[in-house]
Amino acid sequence: MFDEGRNAAQPITRVRIWYAVLICIMALFLVRLFYLQVIRYEHYKNSALSDQLKQYEIPSSRGRILAHSGPGNDGSSAGAIPIVLNQKLYLVYADPLYIKDAAKVASDVARITGGNASDYQKTLDAAMRVKGNRYAILVKKVSEDQKQKIVALKYPGLGTQQQEYRTYPQGAMAAQLLGFVNDAGKGSYGIEEALDTQLKGTPGELKAITDVHGVPLAASTGNTLKPAQSGKDVVLTVDLPMQKRLEQILADAAKTTKSESASAVIMDPNTGAIKAMANVPTYDPAKYYEVEDGSVFNNAAVSHPIEVGSSMKALTTAAALDDGVVTPATTYYDPSHWKVDGFNITNIEEDGGAGNRTIADILNLSLNTGAIWELMQMGGGGSINHKGRSVWYDYMVNHYGFGKPTGIEQGYEASGYVPGPDDNGAGIDLTYANTSFGQAMTATPVQMAAAMSAVVNGGTYYQPRLVDATVDASGKTTAEAPKVVRHGVVSTKVSQEIVPILQYVIDKHNVTPAFDQSRYSVGGKTGTAQIAKTGGGYLDNDFNGTYLGFVGGDTPQYVIAVFMTKPKNGGYAGTAAAQPVFVNIGHMLINNSYVKAKN
Amino acid sequence: MGPGVRGYQAQNGAQNGRSSRSQPSRAGAENSSDLGRRHRPDYWLVILCLMMLVIGLIVVYAISPALSEAAGTSQTHYVTKQLIAIGLSIVAFIAMAKIPLSVIRQMYKPLLVLAGIATLIALLTPVNPLYPAHRWVRLGGFSFQSVELLKFAILIAAAGFLAERSRVGMLGDFKTTIKPLLIAVGVLIVIVAGPGKIYAQSDLGSTAVILAMMAIMAFVAGMPLKRLAAGAAILAIAVILAVVPSTYRRERVTAFLHPDQGCQQAAGYQACQALIAVGSGGLSGLGLGRSVQAYGYLPEAANDSIFAIYAEKFGFIGVTVLLGIMVAFFSRLKSIAERAPDAFSRLVVVGVLAWLSVQAVINIGAMIGLLPLKGITLPFISYGGTSVVFVAAAVGVVFQISYYTAIRVPRVSQGIRQADNTNNGGRVYDNSRDGRRQRGAYHPNPGSRSRA
Repeated sequence: MFDEGRNAAQPITRVRIWYAVLICIMALFLVRLFYLQVIRYEHYKNSALSDQLKQYEIPSSRGRILAHSGPGNDGSSAGAIPIVLNQKLYLVYADPLYIKDAAKVASDVARITGGNASDYQKTLDAAMRVKGNRYAILVKKVSEDQKQKIVALKYPGLGTQQQEYRTYPQGAMAAQLLGFVNDAGKGSYGIEEALDTQLKGTPGELKAITDVHGVPLAASTGNTLKPAQSGKDVVLTVDLPMQKRLEQILADAAKTTKSESASAVIMDPNTGAIKAMANVPTYDPAKYYEVEDGSVFNNAAVSHPIEVGSSMKALTTAAALDDGVVTPATTYYDPSHWKVDGFNITNIEEDGGAGNRTIADILNLSLNTGAIWELMQMGGGGSINHKGRSVWYDYMVNHYGFGKPTGIEQGYEASGYVPGPDDNGAGIDLTYANTSFGQAMTATPVQMAAAMSAVVNGGTYYQPRLVDATVDASGKTTAEAPKVVRHGVVSTKVSQEIVPILQYVIDKHNVTPAFDQSRYSVGGKTGTAQIAKTGGGYLDNDFNGTYLGFVGGDTPQYVIAVFMTKPKNGGYAGTAAAQPVFVNIGHMLINNSYVKAKN
Repeated sequence: MGPGVRGYQAQNGAQNGRSSRSQPSRAGAENSSDLGRRHRPDYWLVILCLMMLVIGLIVVYAISPALSEAAGTSQTHYVTKQLIAIGLSIVAFIAMAKIPLSVIRQMYKPLLVLAGIATLIALLTPVNPLYPAHRWVRLGGFSFQSVELLKFAILIAAAGFLAERSRVGMLGDFKTTIKPLLIAVGVLIVIVAGPGKIYAQSDLGSTAVILAMMAIMAFVAGMPLKRLAAGAAILAIAVILAVVPSTYRRERVTAFLHPDQGCQQAAGYQACQALIAVGSGGLSGLGLGRSVQAYGYLPEAANDSIFAIYAEKFGFIGVTVLLGIMVAFFSRLKSIAERAPDAFSRLVVVGVLAWLSVQAVINIGAMIGLLPLKGITLPFISYGGTSVVFVAAAVGVVFQISYYTAIRVPRVSQGIRQADNTNNGGRVYDNSRDGRRQRGAYHPNPGSRSRA
């Protein structure tokens, strides 16, 4: 063949042509590789790192929340019972780029989780339609067992992430006080929100070269790790059995009085510790996402201020006593009505008409005119004046702490409202006349309880608090000391004088069952508050019932504030709706040995 | 040579006077006892193959943790399987080196039938959704890529056919040469490039390799350039017709034209990640155990994308070495082709050169963003048993051919002055003696000087 002259040379030449082309291509490749690997190295190195180097937040384990287990365990965290714990569950996510057969992935995952395959597929299909989307959450709260089965499917693009979820061994108890942890791991409402930082701890940080699923590669160097620090456990001042009983009493009362809502606070007046705090309606924090009306998340006892009504008169009287303008023995002539700024202010029908009245009568008969008279005395007597308004304002805001948050460890605490002594020119005397009996100003149950505590404990305002101690990850306990906000809210003498007056008031009200005042000291004041209409004026047929009182032995040991919103059981809301709740709470405390009887 | 082709030959021989001229020399070349001068075979061919196999094995071994993690197999799974494949390859290599060339030439028919059956079985086998472009035949625990057998069968058949058509001087004849070739190409396109409506992806990459192999063989055999150009034009039209109606292929082409958007799109993802792997390797590479892209970023890390992983690990220096080894290997093939004792063996060697070089060019070109991704392996380097076994078989045939050098009669008309120009100082070859005793005959290269 090679000896065929013209034909023989051609094939060999043509082999060389292809070989030459090949050499040229290889040379071109080498030039291209030089460009990619040497000239453009930085660019591709950065592209690689932007894909491969991932920075992770290592979630820290959230602290537990505990509460006291009953009488005898006060002040020590030893007998604390957990009310909020953590459960490690998993979240299943998909990287749509790697999902080839969404229907199969969806049905296989649904088979394991018991979920709905078509829902999963919808999620996947939707995620796959979004260009550049690399993350879609498929299922949440998957157990360890289910997670392992899903991992065993080995679908590319399917991953799991450990997540901590809150569990509530005591069920819905103290829900609004506790709050919940939302999907993003943030504490919402209640203690969870107020102490989010402490509970959450410090998340760790991991910077690492990872595989495509984000798993750090062992072979890569330069991974940096800062371990997470667990959050602190929080031991509440709350007494769990007391809380449970309070919730029961309040729920029953809201039902029998057909109240729209109800709140109650039981506070230790000598430390500021909240022993129990409840609201109706409430919710289950384990299923917070099922709640339709978000307002139920609020702890109304700290976040819903209302015009408190006549229970305020206990504090007005204490202020007048402390200001020295009246004494427990003072009597005065009550005209049964006052004309203030052109408005005629009267009492309720059962006031007995005009006549000489004692200080105790003002509280017992709930004389609006008596409270206004006390306000007039603070200004020097005769009429409501600037001085009287200023003194009373000073008591309300600076002594009793109204109009500003108490600082209790709760999310969304409300300030309430107190009008300034020089507000809105004409009509301010009328406004102030109203404040003397708990209208035209607002306060929350916890503000009322804190002010009352200072009045009955000898004159010290303790900041209301829910945290008794914190325990860090190493087990070190830090006890929270009572926080004194102000000494001398009222003098010790006034404090000792007001207690028997309030005992007298409850005795005169013939509550049933009656309290044995020889062994226990129980006192308080009702309030039937008008409800402001939006746009001015007050509702005609709806009232709020409030009660502010104490239960104790030689000294008051518990201050109790009760708010019942719009009860429909007839009678004055304070007497018919709120007072029975206070009475039930008082007996509950006594019957369960929470109260130390008189010596 | 099959009886069918013989039939053509007899016919043409009778009809065409030109063919009778080549008759005597053909008889000499066909006789295996007269296959040119026998000498020492080209051991460099084998050494270079082994070097590439070892490089591939090292890369597969180094990324085994990533592969086994993704697939849930043991760490040694991939290396073990590849070692078994290399073992089988050695058997295939020895067999093809020992079976007389004339017998191999006759084997084209059973090979084609076998490849056809395997391809049909693969067509009927459900496509693995993870590798839609790869068609597998599963036999017990083994899976087998039918297209690799097809490449080998077409190599032998095309070499035989073209050698025969060339011998009778009918290479440019439409009826007897072009038409059968076009029919073969048509059948090939239908069964390998495949009906796109039935399969998510058809094996365009392998089709391209086979067509390029046939075209280069036809070109070297002496096919008139006009005919080749016409064939290339028809093919270009076919490619456009194949790309335009398929959304998938259009996306791939678009992705190729706009590589910057690639990483966020399914179609351009692999190409983009391949560029990142290559580029981030830098001058000297990340190191053997330091590849990151193999951990799920770059799809097909052990197969189609192995070059990019190699480039990431060993950098520009490493790829220069690898391309050097490849070029050395291709240059051995070129030399063997040039001194091949007859047309058939030369065309076989050219076919192997075309097959492996086109496959390497398409594969590497895709990895460095110069060509669209085609989903084919890098010969010797990529993980995958079938490919290695059939490539080894082809190299085995070449190795057998490398034992021989054509005996050339110096002819003044061609300017061949063999006695003056060969490296052996003008020694006359003695085809009756073993080449091992004639070291100078090891690199006979008369062709390079034949144009002088």
